[in-house]
Amino acid sequence: MKKKLLLCCAVIVATALALAGLVPLTAQKKDAAKPLITVLNPAIESKMVDRIPLSPRLDTLDGKTIYLVDINWGGPDAAYSVFEEIKAWFAQNNPSVNIVIKRKAGMYTMDDPALWKEIKEKGGDAALIGISG
Amino acid sequence: MGIPTVGAAGANVVNYARGYDFEYTNGMPIRYVGFPFPVAGQPKSVHHSYVFERNDVVTDKPMMQAIIEAFTAPLTDKEKISGRPPEAKVEPRLLQPMTEDQVQQFFKDNDWTDYNPIIPPTEERVAAMLKGTSLPADKEVKKLNWPGGDRSMTVEKVAVCAVMAGAKPEMFPLILATSMSVPFGNSTSSMANMILVNGPVRNEVKMNSKGNVMGPHNEVNAVLGRTFTLLSKTAGNLHAGKTTFSALGSNIQYNNLTIAENEEDLPAGWEPTHVLKGFKATDSVVTVGTGWTYISSVGEVQRQYPPQFLIRDYMRSLTGMGATVIVTPEVAALLHDAPNSFATKRDLSRWLAENVQKTVSSYWGNGVVSTMNASLAIQGMEPLASQYKLIETNPEELIKPFQAGQVNIVVTGKGQTTWFVTDFGVGRGTKVDDYK
Repeated sequence: MKKKLLLCCAVIVATALALAGLVPLTAQKKDAAKPLITVLNPAIESKMVDRIPLSPRLDTLDGKTIYLVDINWGGPDAAYSVFEEIKAWFAQNNPSVNIVIKRKAGMYTMDDPALWKEIKEKGGDAALIGISG
Repeated sequence: MGIPTVGAAGANVVNYARGYDFEYTNGMPIRYVGFPFPVAGQPKSVHHSYVFERNDVVTDKPMMQAIIEAFTAPLTDKEKISGRPPEAKVEPRLLQPMTEDQVQQFFKDNDWTDYNPIIPPTEERVAAMLKGTSLPADKEVKKLNWPGGDRSMTVEKVAVCAVMAGAKPEMFPLILATSMSVPFGNSTSSMANMILVNGPVRNEVKMNSKGNVMGPHNEVNAVLGRTFTLLSKTAGNLHAGKTTFSALGSNIQYNNLTIAENEEDLPAGWEPTHVLKGFKATDSVVTVGTGWTYISSVGEVQRQYPPQFLIRDYMRSLTGMGATVIVTPEVAALLHDAPNSFATKRDLSRWLAENVQKTVSSYWGNGVVSTMNASLAIQGMEPLASQYKLIETNPEELIKPFQAGQVNIVVTGKGQTTWFVTDFGVGRGTKVDDYK
């Protein structure tokens, strides 16, 4: 009770001093006393691209031909054996799946329309493309 | 292709591929499987474990289960959407009023700074900056579409970053010309940039080209490099973890190796870099190069070992993708005069291309070289094709990784016989007067 009374007195005294100009108001309302400024926004709107739906999925991989396409990230041999391991997995676990491994022409950022055409014309049912990173 | 396609990426970039790249670049919600990192260059045993034993980092399911499901699980409603995307976040020209402290914090919270304090870009300050050019504020300087987003960088947006960096209006044409090369290099490696200024503008804006030129000792060198960084982060929209993926990054991105050539102290017959690129000596030109590394000579040239020999030795550690050798006028004079007698910069470039050698395995052992050049080698491009075949037959054979045209010589600084070798390529220059 005594502590509460002392605290109350201290607040009254501080307020009186502030009103009398003896304690800077900025000490009580630090931010509110600072002037506001308006600045320009450095960011620029990014535009989203049109949405393209995915191709319908397969019911099953049984009997299907899957192309594994190496995009050459890190060089032609950097990740190629990942695709060989995937092929080995299918050979062990679902030999009805026909796996075809291809290297994309050019470096990873370049398009390869000839390969996409080849996959379509040779009856590719699906494709795994990678591996970046 | 019209058939089910699945992307495969390492854990370090799969979130970017499924997020920002989807929204702003390709628009297709491609299903990805994420391999543990690292993938590239790992032995077959590691790749075996990724496929047979490890989980997909996207779904946390066994890798092959994830791959099969990516091909066979029916499409979700989100994966069937076509046409116009949701509207992107609107960026108002003016931000809400704030105290200066709040501005500093707000800009940091949005990753718009280099985490040093900025000058708040008030309308008054930006208007003053715009007086440095005759170009209208709403003129588009460049359309930025890397890493996607199709952002229109206007003269005013460049002025905002110039103010933030502490620039003065008289520097603004140079800053505008430099902004043509925004954003800075961005890859999983520690890519960076070099800003090289040539011509009368160096002296007009009082750049330092004559002493301690690569240190923090000149306002314009500092501010020009900093503006490039701020523009790369704001207009370029490059933010760690969202649109950049480098593990180490680069300290060079704070100032982008901003230098001005000391054209006044070039030896006779050695032309300024912009002249060698086809500009007139009286043109003011800024040239931005991309690279990763610079290595100091550390000490000064010693009598028993001519500078070109030590430069050659240091260049062996570069990838061979490009080089810029930065020398003081004193080193240039030693190289120019008898007995070394390189009458022109091109003579020195040719000598270095002819004499820098590294082993086949060292050359192709670099991930960037393999990523960029191996596919060209496989397609039969010489000399890469012949060099690539040596990986199997003679990996310790020495090859010449540089062409003379890839080796640039820049003279700057003054007062010692020191130099740097760097792997920065020198791109096409931009005339500053076009932005006055």
